[in-house]
Amino acid sequence: MSRLLFAPWKWPLLFLVLSASILCAGKATGQIRISGTVTGPDGKGLPGITVQVKNTTQGAATDPEGKYQLNAALKPGSYILRFSSIGFSPKEVPFQVGDATSYTVNTSLSEDALGLDEVVVTGTSEGTTRKQLGSYISTVKGSDLTKGATGNALAALQGKTAGAQITQNSGDPAGGISVKLRGTNTILGSTDPLYIVDGIIVNNATNRVTNTANTFDGGNFVGTVGQSRMVDINPADIERIEVLNGAAAAAIYGSRANAGVIQIFTKRGSSGAPVVSFSTSFNVNQLRKKLKVNEAPFKFGGPPNIQTQDILDPSLTNTTPVTRYDYQDYIFHTGLGTDNNVSVSGGKDKTKYYASASYLYNQGIVKNTDFQRYSFRINLDQTLSEKLVFKAGLNYINSTANEKPDGNSFFSPLNSITILGNFHNIWARDSVGNLQAVGERGRVNPVSVIEDFKQKQETNRVLANASLKYRPIKNLAFDYTLGIDNYSQRGSTFMPPYAYNVSNAFFGGGPTLDATQNGYSSAATNIFFQINHEINGTYNWDISEDLGSTTQIGYSEQYEKNQYTLAQGRGLAPFIETVNSASTILPSADARSEISISGAYIQENLKYKNQLFVTGALRMDGSSVFGKNERNQLYVKASGSYVLSETEYWKEGKVSKWWSLMKLRMAYGESGNLTAIGAYDRFNSYTSNAFNGKISLTGNPTLANINVAPELQKELEMGTDIAFIDNRISLQFNYYIKRVDQLLLNRIIAPTTGYSNYKNNLGSLQNKGFEVVLNAIPIHKKDFQWNATAIFNRNRNKALKIGQALTLFNTNGGAPVAILEGYPIGVFYGTFFARDANGNYLTNDKGIPQMEKGIQNSPLSYTPQRDANGLPTGTTLRRIIGDPNPDFTASLTNEFSYKGLDVRIQLDAVRGNNVFNADFKTRQGVGNGVVAQQEDLGEIPRGYIAGVYNIEEWRIDDGSFIKLREVYIGYRLGPIKGFSDLTFSLSGRNLISWDHYKGYDPEINAAGQSAILRGIDFGAIPAPRTFSVGIAAKF
Amino acid sequence: MKRSFKYISGILLLTMLLFSISCKKDFTDPSAVRDDQAFTSPQAVTGIAVGLQKKYSTNRAGTYYNIVAANGFTTYELLLLNQGNLPETQLNTGGGSVDGTNTILGNVWTASNKIIFDADNIINYTKTLGDKGYASGLLAYTSIFKALSIGTMSMFWPEVPVGIGQNVGFMDRQEGFKLAIAVLDTAINAVAANAISAKFLTNIPVGIDIPNTLLALKARYALYLGNYDLALATANSVDLTKKSVFNFDPVFLNPIFETATSTNNVFQPIDSTLGLPVGIQPDLNDKRVPFYTSINTSIAPRFRINGFGAANLTPIPIYLPGEMILIKAECYARKHDVDNGLKALNLVVTKLPSADLYGVGAALPEIIGPIAEGDLLTQIYRNRCIEMYMFGLKLEDERRFGRPLAERKRNLFPYPFAERDNNPNTPPDPSF
Repeated sequence: MSRLLFAPWKWPLLFLVLSASILCAGKATGQIRISGTVTGPDGKGLPGITVQVKNTTQGAATDPEGKYQLNAALKPGSYILRFSSIGFSPKEVPFQVGDATSYTVNTSLSEDALGLDEVVVTGTSEGTTRKQLGSYISTVKGSDLTKGATGNALAALQGKTAGAQITQNSGDPAGGISVKLRGTNTILGSTDPLYIVDGIIVNNATNRVTNTANTFDGGNFVGTVGQSRMVDINPADIERIEVLNGAAAAAIYGSRANAGVIQIFTKRGSSGAPVVSFSTSFNVNQLRKKLKVNEAPFKFGGPPNIQTQDILDPSLTNTTPVTRYDYQDYIFHTGLGTDNNVSVSGGKDKTKYYASASYLYNQGIVKNTDFQRYSFRINLDQTLSEKLVFKAGLNYINSTANEKPDGNSFFSPLNSITILGNFHNIWARDSVGNLQAVGERGRVNPVSVIEDFKQKQETNRVLANASLKYRPIKNLAFDYTLGIDNYSQRGSTFMPPYAYNVSNAFFGGGPTLDATQNGYSSAATNIFFQINHEINGTYNWDISEDLGSTTQIGYSEQYEKNQYTLAQGRGLAPFIETVNSASTILPSADARSEISISGAYIQENLKYKNQLFVTGALRMDGSSVFGKNERNQLYVKASGSYVLSETEYWKEGKVSKWWSLMKLRMAYGESGNLTAIGAYDRFNSYTSNAFNGKISLTGNPTLANINVAPELQKELEMGTDIAFIDNRISLQFNYYIKRVDQLLLNRIIAPTTGYSNYKNNLGSLQNKGFEVVLNAIPIHKKDFQWNATAIFNRNRNKALKIGQALTLFNTNGGAPVAILEGYPIGVFYGTFFARDANGNYLTNDKGIPQMEKGIQNSPLSYTPQRDANGLPTGTTLRRIIGDPNPDFTASLTNEFSYKGLDVRIQLDAVRGNNVFNADFKTRQGVGNGVVAQQEDLGEIPRGYIAGVYNIEEWRIDDGSFIKLREVYIGYRLGPIKGFSDLTFSLSGRNLISWDHYKGYDPEINAAGQSAILRGIDFGAIPAPRTFSVGIAAKF
Repeated sequence: MKRSFKYISGILLLTMLLFSISCKKDFTDPSAVRDDQAFTSPQAVTGIAVGLQKKYSTNRAGTYYNIVAANGFTTYELLLLNQGNLPETQLNTGGGSVDGTNTILGNVWTASNKIIFDADNIINYTKTLGDKGYASGLLAYTSIFKALSIGTMSMFWPEVPVGIGQNVGFMDRQEGFKLAIAVLDTAINAVAANAISAKFLTNIPVGIDIPNTLLALKARYALYLGNYDLALATANSVDLTKKSVFNFDPVFLNPIFETATSTNNVFQPIDSTLGLPVGIQPDLNDKRVPFYTSINTSIAPRFRINGFGAANLTPIPIYLPGEMILIKAECYARKHDVDNGLKALNLVVTKLPSADLYGVGAALPEIIGPIAEGDLLTQIYRNRCIEMYMFGLKLEDERRFGRPLAERKRNLFPYPFAERDNNPNTPPDPSF
């Protein structure tokens, strides 16, 4: 262990020793000053442009006016000054240093819509320009992430990068977010990409430190619900994000790269006077859409308190007058929030720094829920010598959330009102102030959930990175990076003993208010530690004037450990919130795991002129989670690109006048996946629970394979980058086909084998699709500019082999999620309406639709049967009834700027997907929904809901939507007394959704970040509509 | 040039050096015991055996709850309270609505086979134990759950698996009862050869009287097989003064209470008829009705679960003394000894709650003979249904006594899809 952790430290030490000798060898140099102004195509000064003396470590950045000043120790001679920034083509300006001590270099930069000359570092250590890449890598500027009224970096990324489907699964203030790059890549694991922040492999796990008892979900397959830990990253600290969509780009990340890689770079300081930036915003979060509720003035059967469920019992025909309530007005409210950031950056000579502090507070749209995050960061760049640069970064985050139980139980805020006929006066109290039971079925009164439940979690996290870059000679560089991610996440739940009859299943004491059962408390902790080391060497070799070579070799090591502990109990002593007050201690948990991964790669890059680029790489690595014989895996990558527009004949031809860029590219890559298997999943084992005070061991229902291997992805990508009219119109197109073999599956096996499931490399799946990114600058004048970006993504996912015809999951929300060979992962497979020859619902003599019956020949083939009355007969039939995977997703962003006014409008669309709307059914069954109102009022036959209630197709809903995702209006005053820059802004998020969905919002998933359970609406809170007013200032 | 080669070879060396100190990759799970480790420790194996009792008797996914629910809905014992509980609703509707997706049946099938799988491993392990008293206890205790699992499958499906393995074959359900009896016999002989050691008994939950339970189950399955001599002799050998129960703790609750009684959202007793048709409904004075049901006058439904699902820690008997007496009565009747049959039946009919180990007693006047053999059998059936209400045994009784099909919603159940889709030897589903 200690060897593992500390051995790589020896290498930086070695570098230090080496560098010391170099320092001694340095020659005396003079201090000079270089200053100037950098302007854009419109003649205005450009802020934030990096100015660097090439091949040295001397650099600065321009201020909001476009001015820069750089103090450097340079010997007389010729130098090149390099100006660069995202969105502009970099420029190199030669200059001479003579006897003078100050020099002026002014320049102007042209825009680079596709960022082809931008340096991309993900997947390489030294960085390469986008022009050379054979695969598609997208870059998102940090400034685009802070205009969308969200404090979550991943939410901010929605609609901004091609090939990504980013879904906010829950509208809780720290609700989890799924990022899916080019489709579903795994079934058992997380299909979220690998996240790297400043070289630290950052954990994005969802740990259930709240919502802890397994009975919360009835012991069913519930998915991955809760906060995903990327919520800890403050978007205001982000300089840029690079997104690698698949194996073709990410192959050198080896076993971790199946789902793509997202690399985040935080802001760093630059030489010059300190810049203090301050921003603050005030946010308002609202429920975007309220559902209509049943307003019938009576109910069937007796009074609510003795017969709450009426609709589903068609034999009840008598009615009782009732008052109907709208409980939505009670559980939802307008949440307020604020997001504050302050940063100081600057530097002098050899030291640069960036330091920031932020405070985010947001109330949820459900009463008594909120999220708060403190974040502190310091990034330091220190030039140790001409040849040695040291960088370090430290980020401390403290986040706390007040929560309510998540959707998947009937005592979550939304489900507690969904499962309740809306004719109970839930606020009624008896003479001593106790709440009353809601009906006779032991359900939880929503007032208890909102007012009495206390569910909290807190995370303390440190992200630290350090790196050394050493350039012993020209063209050779070594770098070493160390990353540490360490957090502790604590959660507590307190459900006080109920004063009324609540079922045991909901942690009540039943009708007798059994004190040994009534109430629930839990405390859980998850402690995570991760350390990664990476060492790379890069050698550039100009073989001839036209032919260049870059060789890279690298080694990396990663170790992580996790410990999850849970204490819980029920039957609480009055007033005490902690677990020790429980009279019945429920099973505790103490799960510990360790994983290590190590690997090496070699990559060779050849370029011919500035036109033809070829790259090849090999990566070998292994992880401790796999069988001994499967530890070492070899991954291959090859890519090439050809920039036709750089060739002589193109440049000289007429076409170049209007067709400014033509690039063709192709890439192939392989990668693996680690997330589908836990640290010890390859062992068959027994776990312990005390039973009647004796040791009891329970075998795993899943048969494991000791020789399990990683999933292997092979991706082929082809694409082109095209631009016209000085890059004012540009198009990027990618086509990809990727296949995952050795897919890990937990397939169902015959119980007569002694197990229910078998987990092994049993299957394969495929994703293919294309991405189109269209950029246009329709208007480009000095005072007015209009930029438009459209992104279109289409992905077709298919299970190729799953070892059996059908795998059907029993899920918590009742969603019949299935995997069938030849169909997309996670389709809904279930019972459906019987239809007549014209495709209309077949109804019985009362006009009630029927469930289809007949003979099921195979999972996908059936023969309906009719009895003498023409009604369905035989066994219940099933077919694919819906698909949560969209036909396509698209985004359209328009940006306008007029003098100091900036307007940004982003529309996101998802089309052709289904949502399993479990709540819709429940609302009708318990009588609070609009269909129930129709049945109450006799507009549809009595018994209609009972008749269709268990037809799963009834719950399939249209998930397509177009959303007005982000609107930003900013006004920049520029330098004004006391400020070097001042901007006022107004922004909004999720403002309007155009959809036909019967619930709140089709963009939801009660199963959280699960890869396979998608599009399930079961009590999850919809994403709020957010308005934000902000001020940003620089001093 | 030469210089750069020197550097490149330097990098290569560095990398190779790093590989040589490559990190540790063999981690073991501190929070579980691997199966190859488990079967080296008598305590661990005993723990696995206790796990079988937990799997059989507790939880909504365990065998017991699902037997009671499947049998109860099918034989009109139970009232469905919520259509939203799909598997319960399917069984309540019966006929073709019950299909291979039914999780209640799936749970019975899966839990039974898992128990048999673990039990086989435990029974094999007992042969290696030196402590014969411990070994006989472990074998006998484990055999109870293995026999119950084989017997349960034999009550519900037309054919049952011959054992555990890949693509196992199936045998007639009668062969299943024979296998269950064989398992019990092995255990009975082992206990006879080496009495169960106290050391073993301290490691398992209190409540189960192992020797009497082995005999009682053997009597039950012998009756189902129609081997009346064996059933009668075995029932006679059961000591009816000994209790034998599944006990529960505050974490692993009585499964009927946990899922049905406390929620009032799954099922309750159908009513005071206990699901019996006109003519053989319980006598209005039958004290067993108030034992098994309670009445809620204010909130629907009126009849509520009582008896062995009354509270979270209520123990559930594995067999009742009444069942043993009724086995005797039936055996006499089947052997045309009507007098002894009626005598035995009357022991049950007149039994006072206070005189029963568990408080189950009809406390009715005795049935005065003479009685025709057919009528006697009908009365025995009636009393079995009342005495063992919600015990999961009624479907087998209905078939054995040739009750009309209208009194049940299915004869036997379809095989779970998990088995059908993955084992080509799965027999065809019964039509009803």
